[in-house]
Amino acid sequence: MTEFNKIAFDGLWKNNPALVQLLGLCPLLAVTGSVVNALGLGLATTLVLVGSNAAVSLIRNHVSDAVRLPAFVMIIASLVTCAELLMQAFTYELYQVLGIFIPLIVTNCAILGRADGFARKNSLLPATFDGLMMGVGFSAVLVLLGAMREVLGTGTLFGNMELLFGASASSWELHLFGEQYPDFLFAVLPPGAFVLMGLIIAVKNIIDAKIEAAAKAKAAPVQAGSKRVRVTS
Amino acid sequence: MNAIAKQVWALPGGIHPPENKHQSTASAIAEPFIPTELVLPLSQHIGSPSKVVVAVGDAVLKGQLLAECQGNVSAAVHAPTSGVISAIENRAIPHASGMSAMAIVLKPDGKDQWRERQPWQNWRDMPRDDIFARIAAAGVIGLGGAGFPTATKLGFDPERINTLVLNGTECEPYITADDMIMRERADEIIAGAQIMADLLQVERVLIGIEDNKPEAIAAMQAAIPDSLAARFIIKTFATKYPSGGEKQLIWILTGQEVPSGRIPADLGIVCQNVGTAAALYRAVVQDEPLISRITTVTGDAVGQLGNREVLIGTPMNELLEAHNVDWQKADRLVMGGPMMGVALADAKVPVIKTTNCLLLPTRKELPLAGPEMPCIRCGHCEQACPAGLLPQQMLFYAKNKELERLEQQNLFDCIECGACAYVCPSDIPLVQYYRFGKGEIRREQAEHEKSERAKARFEARQARLEAEKAEKEAKRQARAEAARKAAEAKKKEGSAAPAAIAKATSKVAAQSGPIDIAALEKAVASAQAKVDQAIVKLNEAKETDPGNLPAYERALGKFEEKLAKAKTALTEGKAKADDPVERAKRQAAAKAAGVGPSVADLEKKVATQRQRLQKIAEKLKAAQDNGDDTSAIEKGMQATQARLNKAQAELDKAKAEQAPADDVGAKAIAAAKEAAAKRAAGIGPSADELRGKVAKQQERLAKIEQKLADAQAAGEDVSAIEKGRDATAKRLEKMQAELAQLEE
Amino acid sequence: MPLITLSSPHSAKPTKISTVMGTVLLCMIPGFIALTVFFSYGYLINLALAVVTALLLEAGSLALRKRPIKFFITDLSVVVTAALLAASLPPFAPWWITVVGTATAVLFGKHIFGGMGQNPFNPAMLAYALLLVSFPVQMTTNWPVVDVYVSIGDTLRAIFAGNVVDGWVGATPLDYYKLNLATQTADEILASSLFNGWLPAGWVWVSLAWLAGGLVLIWRRIITWHLPVSMIATLALLSLVFGIDSDSFTPASIHLLAGATMLGAFFIITDPVSCATSNRGKLVFGAGVGVLTYVIRTWGNYPDAIAFATLLMNFAAPFIDHYTKPRTYGHTKAHKGHK
Repeated sequence: MTEFNKIAFDGLWKNNPALVQLLGLCPLLAVTGSVVNALGLGLATTLVLVGSNAAVSLIRNHVSDAVRLPAFVMIIASLVTCAELLMQAFTYELYQVLGIFIPLIVTNCAILGRADGFARKNSLLPATFDGLMMGVGFSAVLVLLGAMREVLGTGTLFGNMELLFGASASSWELHLFGEQYPDFLFAVLPPGAFVLMGLIIAVKNIIDAKIEAAAKAKAAPVQAGSKRVRVTS
Repeated sequence: MNAIAKQVWALPGGIHPPENKHQSTASAIAEPFIPTELVLPLSQHIGSPSKVVVAVGDAVLKGQLLAECQGNVSAAVHAPTSGVISAIENRAIPHASGMSAMAIVLKPDGKDQWRERQPWQNWRDMPRDDIFARIAAAGVIGLGGAGFPTATKLGFDPERINTLVLNGTECEPYITADDMIMRERADEIIAGAQIMADLLQVERVLIGIEDNKPEAIAAMQAAIPDSLAARFIIKTFATKYPSGGEKQLIWILTGQEVPSGRIPADLGIVCQNVGTAAALYRAVVQDEPLISRITTVTGDAVGQLGNREVLIGTPMNELLEAHNVDWQKADRLVMGGPMMGVALADAKVPVIKTTNCLLLPTRKELPLAGPEMPCIRCGHCEQACPAGLLPQQMLFYAKNKELERLEQQNLFDCIECGACAYVCPSDIPLVQYYRFGKGEIRREQAEHEKSERAKARFEARQARLEAEKAEKEAKRQARAEAARKAAEAKKKEGSAAPAAIAKATSKVAAQSGPIDIAALEKAVASAQAKVDQAIVKLNEAKETDPGNLPAYERALGKFEEKLAKAKTALTEGKAKADDPVERAKRQAAAKAAGVGPSVADLEKKVATQRQRLQKIAEKLKAAQDNGDDTSAIEKGMQATQARLNKAQAELDKAKAEQAPADDVGAKAIAAAKEAAAKRAAGIGPSADELRGKVAKQQERLAKIEQKLADAQAAGEDVSAIEKGRDATAKRLEKMQAELAQLEE
Repeated sequence: MPLITLSSPHSAKPTKISTVMGTVLLCMIPGFIALTVFFSYGYLINLALAVVTALLLEAGSLALRKRPIKFFITDLSVVVTAALLAASLPPFAPWWITVVGTATAVLFGKHIFGGMGQNPFNPAMLAYALLLVSFPVQMTTNWPVVDVYVSIGDTLRAIFAGNVVDGWVGATPLDYYKLNLATQTADEILASSLFNGWLPAGWVWVSLAWLAGGLVLIWRRIITWHLPVSMIATLALLSLVFGIDSDSFTPASIHLLAGATMLGAFFIITDPVSCATSNRGKLVFGAGVGVLTYVIRTWGNYPDAIAFATLLMNFAAPFIDHYTKPRTYGHTKAHKGHK
């Protein structure tokens, strides 16, 4: 696999920040009540990830080990402030809905983790690409969880998309179960988010296990009797 | 009776399994019968096995001692009936593993004849030591099931003990042996208890009986004389399993707990079974050792249920036949009760002193447990445990093999009564898990000790090696010092070197043994033989294998070299042989071989002394002519004369010793000895001897020729005889050659 | 016939898990009868629904976990869970409430933790809590009114089609008393048709039926007295002390005889897997449930608190177990915790 393919696969599946590294679970569980919230936060996080990975990669040889973490956090904070101001300007209602979780992106361990774990040791292009892929992977999980919680909790999908995409997006809303759907409040509350998150991780593990089993079966199948059992008395 | 004295304490936990005792209490104790053989294992008790004092084939009387105590905690074994010892061998014993152990097998003669018994009319008049001796010799052990030697238990310091507890509880279902003995022989039990009470000088005797034995209680009550009513107290309490355990009974009767890891004697209490008390009475008063016991035979597979007095050593299958057992119905053969009894694989094992019950249930009566389900943490096991343990927690730790925590749960306080497993709704085999846990912990402890010992050994070895190294170093340094000093000294004197060298060489010479002429001659002979062989091979090769001729020639050359070397060695050796040092060595070697100096050596000695004497005589003459002082020389002459006389005497003696062998065998042996001695001394056989040998060899050869002729005439196989003939002929040739050599 | 050579003990009480669970179910019968007679057929319909769902999901889970199905299903433990849940849910609640609740209890309350004997929480109470949090409207507005007869056909329609008529449902006595404490005096509150003097109408018989069943359970030695007695005693004590001022606090008679107190004391907190082990531990556990029940009922947001109190004490059960180990014979004191 080429380096970039590997980075992409890592970020999206093998080392997914939310499903495998289990980082950044706080915003994940708090704001994924609907798709639009999830998407908004995901985009903001991706933006910050790309920027911070690029910046850290550029300065990696000029920062001493002792002060690297404060330096990285400075960079991340600056980028997050930019993102916040952007959201305040262009998606004000969403900014209000997400509230404190936008500045809290600074504390998202996924971002600091990638900065320290990858961007510090790699050149600009791979680092940036890694930030992008990690962000996309994180956002994908956010959106999936948001969709599940929205469907179970309110019976709709893509509700309130105009907060992100403008007035025309309000027609995207789907009502899946009709008006009589009793909202499953549990799914919208944090405990439900935990449970659904657990289910998603479980499904991912099942898929991984099946892929592994298929790969093993495809590899040279052992003939019955070809391997001798060593018997020591 | 004092109300406080009657107080009992309730046992915590416990269960109430169905008693099933009525089936075996309907009839009185049956009489003993004499089986076809009696098997008496040597180890029926706690402690060291007994030591056999009879032999196979001995005729023994009833009650005769067959095996005595060995060590401080041991018991004796006696003959339950008169008969003959038919074997002392390994026999199957009633053990869960089905193992065998050493046992005395007695074949009864049917006469049931007692040995001489000396009953005591009044045991109280007998000295204490005699009573103890009688108890020890009677082989009485705890008949309640544990089998601890009673003599040891009664031997505790009376200062320590203040209470005797008699265990008439019999809490396990099905067993009724103690119940019946209390009903029928209460007076013997009380009498035995009196003996125990006196020996231990206790203040009170507490007799604990469960309230499901009203007849027994009444009988025991009646058996206590009024004079003892204050001291002998019967306490009855509610029936519950397992109240009959020693620790549990002590709690019930006295409210005291035996501290973990200690024995009841630490509380001043000695606990004995009622059956043991009755046996003690018989042993002490009637001089009847323990040769029988009451055993309950019960279970739905038994035709005739009840108790019987059984001779120790009766094979269980014979006992069960006497009770009409239906083997088709019997699901298990349990020795003991259903809660703690041992399931035996085979009935052909003997009844031993601790066999209180044989239970043969049908499958329906005691069904097998279902498959183990997960623990539902209901806590019934904890409710049932009489020892205050947490069986649930112990189960989890045992399953996960967390041995340290298991031990912390006081696993070793578990008495394996089975109450927890009885109540478990999940059919978990709890007692088996605890046994596993105990075994694992013990095994780990043993391994730990082993590795500690190995570590100690290793460290000791390291220390020893270090010490040796240090010692060597010290010695080397000391030698270096000495050498340095010697070199300095040598530099000063300048003549020390040759002396040192001479010393060294003499040392080396002295270290080697005497020169063996015979071996050298043998070497020459074999080298010669090899050379001859090589020549033969070479000649053959000339015809058959001309291509490899150089190889054969090379081989021949090598052998010829070897022969030359051997010959030179021989001549050197012969020359050295006359060296006085060599002679001394030879004599020393001969002495060491236990053969006195040979006649030849003695002759030489005599000759030497004579020479010396001659020399001294000349010296004397010369001195006398010169007019010098001759006293010293005369002294020397006298000494030499003395030595000469001694040597002459020895020679005469040796010569005389050669003669007296009259019979041919002794003569031959003497001759051989002589020859061996001569050879050791480096002297070859004399010409006369050789001639004698040659003559003999010729005789032998003639005989073999005759044999050969006969065999050939008879048409038999002659190859072996021919071989013998050839060998003899060769030997003859050799001898003749030697003789010729000597005569040159 | 060859002799069996297993090691001792050779004898066991013929009690199985199914015996224990079966006895519990039998002892719940009086309670269900009282509920049906005094209130609604809905309880029986919910019971049927819950039991069917539970058995199906249990079989499915066992198959997924590759365990022998018949062996584990016949221990009846999941039927007890279903029955407890059916007894706790409002009888006019829609059918999917019962189904979702049972599914939560069986899947999230039991099998996710490893099945039989492994659940740290009472599965029925876990399901109740989840339902209460998720569907507060359906869980609080479907309680029956005493002495209002609803035919079985109507009840079925109410449950499956959602046609609940207003007259059939109302507040529970606990709920009513608590809601009106701020505005009315005790006498005024008790004048309502929900009460018979100091006793809650209808519910008093249900509680006594649960009590009867519970006493039979103790008599049959399925449970010990420690849990029910400590819980009821603590709750009684607290409610008596505070209830002296019955204008500000619900009186003891309502606390003990309305709501799920009796059901909880004998059937819910005694779930063996999730409660404390030793007898002393059970006393502490029961007392804790009593205290929490009173606190949540009086100062919390929910009218009935048995479920939450039980769940909170289930959290504490291992901790209680550590510190309430029994003293072993021959040792001077109990061993606390483990090193």
